[in-house]
Amino acid sequence: MLQVEGLSKAYGSRQALDSVNLEVAEGEISALLGRNGAGKTTLVSIVAGLLSADSGNIAIGGIDAFADPRRAQANLGLAPQETGVYPTLSCRDNLRLFTGLAGMGRSETRTAIDELAELLGLTELLDRRAKELSGGERRRLHTAIALVGRPSLVLLDEPTVGADVQTRSQLLGVVRNLARNGAAVVYSTHYFPEVTGLDASVVILERGRVLARGSINEVVAQHSVGTVELVFAGHAPNVAPLLPTNSVSTSGSCVTIKTHDTAAVTAAILADLDTHAVKLRGLTVSEPSLESAFLELTDRPNPALIEGVVDVA
Amino acid sequence: MSRRRTGAILFHQLRLLSRDPLPIMILVVFPLLLIGFLKPMFALALRTHGYPGANGAEQVVPGEAVINGFYIVGMTSFAFFVEHGWNTWERLRASDATSPEIIVGKALPFLAVSVAQFLIIFAIAIPLFHLHSRGPLTPLIPLVAAFALCLVSLGVMVTSVCHTVQQVSAFAFGGLVLFGALGGALVPLEVLPGWAHAVAPATPTYWVMRGFGSVILSGHSFPAIVLPCLILIGMSLAFAAVSLRRFRFTDSKASF
Repeated sequence: MLQVEGLSKAYGSRQALDSVNLEVAEGEISALLGRNGAGKTTLVSIVAGLLSADSGNIAIGGIDAFADPRRAQANLGLAPQETGVYPTLSCRDNLRLFTGLAGMGRSETRTAIDELAELLGLTELLDRRAKELSGGERRRLHTAIALVGRPSLVLLDEPTVGADVQTRSQLLGVVRNLARNGAAVVYSTHYFPEVTGLDASVVILERGRVLARGSINEVVAQHSVGTVELVFAGHAPNVAPLLPTNSVSTSGSCVTIKTHDTAAVTAAILADLDTHAVKLRGLTVSEPSLESAFLELTDRPNPALIEGVVDVA
Repeated sequence: MSRRRTGAILFHQLRLLSRDPLPIMILVVFPLLLIGFLKPMFALALRTHGYPGANGAEQVVPGEAVINGFYIVGMTSFAFFVEHGWNTWERLRASDATSPEIIVGKALPFLAVSVAQFLIIFAIAIPLFHLHSRGPLTPLIPLVAAFALCLVSLGVMVTSVCHTVQQVSAFAFGGLVLFGALGGALVPLEVLPGWAHAVAPATPTYWVMRGFGSVILSGHSFPAIVLPCLILIGMSLAFAAVSLRRFRFTDSKASF
């Protein structure tokens, strides 16, 4: 549904996107992860036709988005990062504008609004003015506007920012439902549990470059290591000889071991501590995770030195 | 341009206007109040300048309608700026609507508001302030429509060149006073100095007031308003041309 090839964009001397490639198939949710300023919003804005690119290609549904933007973006729904609703109008009138722009007739508009309101818990609020809604309700309306035209490509830029637990859960349910019905979803977020909850494919951006992409399991396996942390009374003993193949660092009373197999390392070290075992005061085991993969990738001192994109898909 | 999409934006803009009708009501109420206490002064001015039977309404009614009609410039521009304030501008841009559809759909309701404002003021002023026209009133309809087009085009142009809502306010209010005074709407042109007579034709207010004067005071009919209408349409086209050149949909605007 969406193919992005070699997309680059600079704001003056700052490279916002640097040869970004991305593919999102029908029914796929692709999560864009990155720090603030990593290029997520720039990427979403270019795909939505709000910003021009310096170079690269975008195809939506096989249509070149730069050569024929209107046709390519005809079935696109965008929920920008900032909540964008008409506060003086009712929720229904907010949605009605966008069904009108999507070419829906009266009865189709009524059906689309009622269905979406049901999904997002807005049914009771449809005739209430947007300015009278709570922050979470307004966020749901904001997302509903992006979806009311029944788009086949949905771009959601941090849709759950500021949302309460219920709103977040409802929004995630709607996103899953969209993908089940065949829409391609680009979902930019800072919240890792959302990505795992959506079972999305992952794209990690840093300073405009794609550092990794693939399924959650693939990215975690490739880029994340678990840690076993031991805290001793007094100076930590030298445990490195016990674990020759793992990365061990010692600082004062604390020993940190990075490993892909936390269970085996924990078992081995506890068995071999011998007389040092009585001085052990704490043990923390952290499994490999998407968050640690993200930190591992983005905390590298100079991302520009990373050679190429690690495509684990 | 799609009529369906333009219509969707137009009706949406009308809905927005209907939810906040106070500014539109003020467009009618303020001029009527001003007409009430300025009428004697205009009567004096007209009588000393060759219209012995005038009661002042012949000049002050169109004059106040024109001056207050200038608020349409700001209102048109604010309609665009508020989209930035509500973060809905990008949503519109990302929709199926094209740039001309957005501009026309958002601006056209103000054309209707402007024409309606003139019609209501005249409809009330004729019985209330004893406005007597020596010529038929029907030629005033295309004249008012041409002036409304000019105001709305100017509003779009102001949007295209301004970056903050404060700039829009300054342009709209400054234009109202400057064009109103120079064009003979604020005070009769006859009492202004000679240099003002020379520059007055550069303002849309001059031409609309000249059209009103030809019909109401001099008793002329359609032929007398052809030139003012053509010049007002020409000015509208000039404003539209500047808008076309300067309007950047990607510009960020500082709203309220």
